[in-house]
Amino acid sequence: MRTPLIDRRDFLRAAGAGFAAAMTPSAWARTMTADAVFATAFVRRNGSYGAAVLSEDGKVLHTVDLPDRGHDVTFDPVSGRSVVFARQPGTFAMVFDHRGREEPLTIASLPDRHFFGHGVFSHDGALLYATENDFDNAEGMVGVYDAGSGFQRIGEFPTYGMGPHELLLLGDGRTLAIANGGIETHPDFGRAELNIATMQPSYVLVDRITGDLIEKHELPAELHKLSIRHMDTDAGGHVWFGCQYRGAATDLPPLVGKATRDKGISLIDMPQDVLASLRNYVGSVAANPETGLVAVTSPQGNSLAVIEAASGKVLSRQDMTEVCGIAPDGKGFLATTGGGVIVGPDGRSLDDPDHVWDNHMLRIEEA
Amino acid sequence: MKAPALAFTLSLFMPAAAHAAMPASDVIGQAIDGFIRPAYGDLAERTASLEKSVEALCATPSQAALDAARDGFAQAAQGWAKVELIMFGPIREGNRLERMLFWPDRKSIGLKQVQAALASKDPDAIDAEKIARKSVAMQGFGALEYVLYGTDADELATPEGGWRCAFGAAVAGNIATISANVRDDWNKPDGFAAIWSRPGPDNLTYRNGSEAVTELMGVFINGLEMVRDVRLRGFLGLRPEKDKPKQALYWRSQGTTASLAANLEGLGGLFRASHLADALSPESRWIAESIEIQFANGAEAARSVKGPTEEALGDPARREKLDYLGTVTSSLSNLFGVRLSGEFGLTAGFSSLDGD
Repeated sequence: MRTPLIDRRDFLRAAGAGFAAAMTPSAWARTMTADAVFATAFVRRNGSYGAAVLSEDGKVLHTVDLPDRGHDVTFDPVSGRSVVFARQPGTFAMVFDHRGREEPLTIASLPDRHFFGHGVFSHDGALLYATENDFDNAEGMVGVYDAGSGFQRIGEFPTYGMGPHELLLLGDGRTLAIANGGIETHPDFGRAELNIATMQPSYVLVDRITGDLIEKHELPAELHKLSIRHMDTDAGGHVWFGCQYRGAATDLPPLVGKATRDKGISLIDMPQDVLASLRNYVGSVAANPETGLVAVTSPQGNSLAVIEAASGKVLSRQDMTEVCGIAPDGKGFLATTGGGVIVGPDGRSLDDPDHVWDNHMLRIEEA
Repeated sequence: MKAPALAFTLSLFMPAAAHAAMPASDVIGQAIDGFIRPAYGDLAERTASLEKSVEALCATPSQAALDAARDGFAQAAQGWAKVELIMFGPIREGNRLERMLFWPDRKSIGLKQVQAALASKDPDAIDAEKIARKSVAMQGFGALEYVLYGTDADELATPEGGWRCAFGAAVAGNIATISANVRDDWNKPDGFAAIWSRPGPDNLTYRNGSEAVTELMGVFINGLEMVRDVRLRGFLGLRPEKDKPKQALYWRSQGTTASLAANLEGLGGLFRASHLADALSPESRWIAESIEIQFANGAEAARSVKGPTEEALGDPARREKLDYLGTVTSSLSNLFGVRLSGEFGLTAGFSSLDGD
């Protein structure tokens, strides 16, 4: 365990963070009712790919074309730019203005790296961090890109595990939480998973300035096939994570857990019918800090479950065909599906005739 | 939301455009009884024969006995290729899938472990029960192929190859045991077959007919992707200078293309046995017919490519056949993933439901 070298406030000042960038989770909560848009990757019904910006009522406001399938989107409130990452083992990320005022910019991965589909900006918007695969050495890496110089890659550091997936920047502005899925892949063999018998997922905290490992947590040995993949932070600063199980379909292990700084990780119990509905696969996790809720989705189980963050109890569950994308909205969540449907927090749904929505959706607060 | 999605919340499996609803339990039951149980039964027989042929080689080493053991290997590998794309159910218990075949072995873990065992004459390596608890990379078809075909394997025809042969017999015994156990598990009346073929609200694994049929469709969709992206494209480059012949499965035994052909034959057998085509309306029957034709074309193309993989890749005519095999698998992926899925109301994001 390692103590941060710089005090959080000093660090934020040194990094030149603006008000929006330095907002704590509770400050975010207060803006949850503000106007927002949502960004997500999609597949057109004709088979072409892109990323879209949606209004709260599900209207497509803006789209950018992508050369191949995208995955998650991240947003920098300082510059107002978003970045959509290629789905693994993709080799591009595209920077775009969600209002469509600027030409998109493409970032290419290094020849011996590929993206895993997720990334995050530093709070001051200066640097972009992306999970990447050093595939020849089967090591997870975080690639560091300088937003001020056209997103040149200026460095990298390890994720201290294999197959990193989603990463978050915690409230201190300095610590990255990274889900190491534990699964080895190599582009020579497409998306084939090469180490299921020996996979070892982990949840790690890494100092984004020094690249040092701060904390590393692994699941008990009997759950070593439980790949930790997606995360979000609740109002209390806890990181909620969702897993995907690579063992036998009949096993039904726990799939959702919570990480607390200095206290490690724990998996939560769910009623058996809720757990069964997720079919060993959580595709996306989102917290609504205003209402203290965490939602997890399973496109495999056509299921959306809502958990009370404070108690860890499942409050509700609903069937939704191929639901995966999820983001906080109003008192609940906006959800998207692989069938092209957008479902708002009030339950109203809209079936988009032209697009089917990819796995993730990001809420973008309009300044 | 589209109508077919509603149909799938019922335990009936009701194709969107089909003329008749077909209970999911019928489809799955036909797949199990018509293909899965007999195919695992065949694998258990072939691997038992393999074990016997390697034991016979050890008892009386000769070139003829080595040839017989190698033939036993090729036959067993064929039997495995017919079922290996069924990557759920009993094969998923206790790492059986990886223990049968750990591949791709990108870092040559298995090769290194097998070579180390041969060099050190590790006493545990000649005991089938002990080998079952060792690294998955040294207890399946990959390890046995090296024993039978790798460097210095010809010594198996002589008494000098005694220890190597005993190691091979242990690996063959382990493969035969796993195969017999998987067959027995599928045959249990209250085992996994009952769970899969009886979807319903009380079933925690398959809560409705749609989930049960989706598991079956996944065999085709994921299996075809694996045949193309992992097995074929793993060694067949987009251009000849990108070819990597030693990344081909079974290159040592020249079994690469026979295995690819058996993969497609296995998928074709499963498709026929499940009678999925019967759920199609007359206007959509062409999908099933195209699937049958493409399975046959793909298997024939693969079987026509003979000889060492490296030599085949260097021969434009044979390399073209392999490229064509890639095209056929892409066409089949479209037929299953878009056309057939669409008919069954498993549209749009179906192919997106994997590992992200």
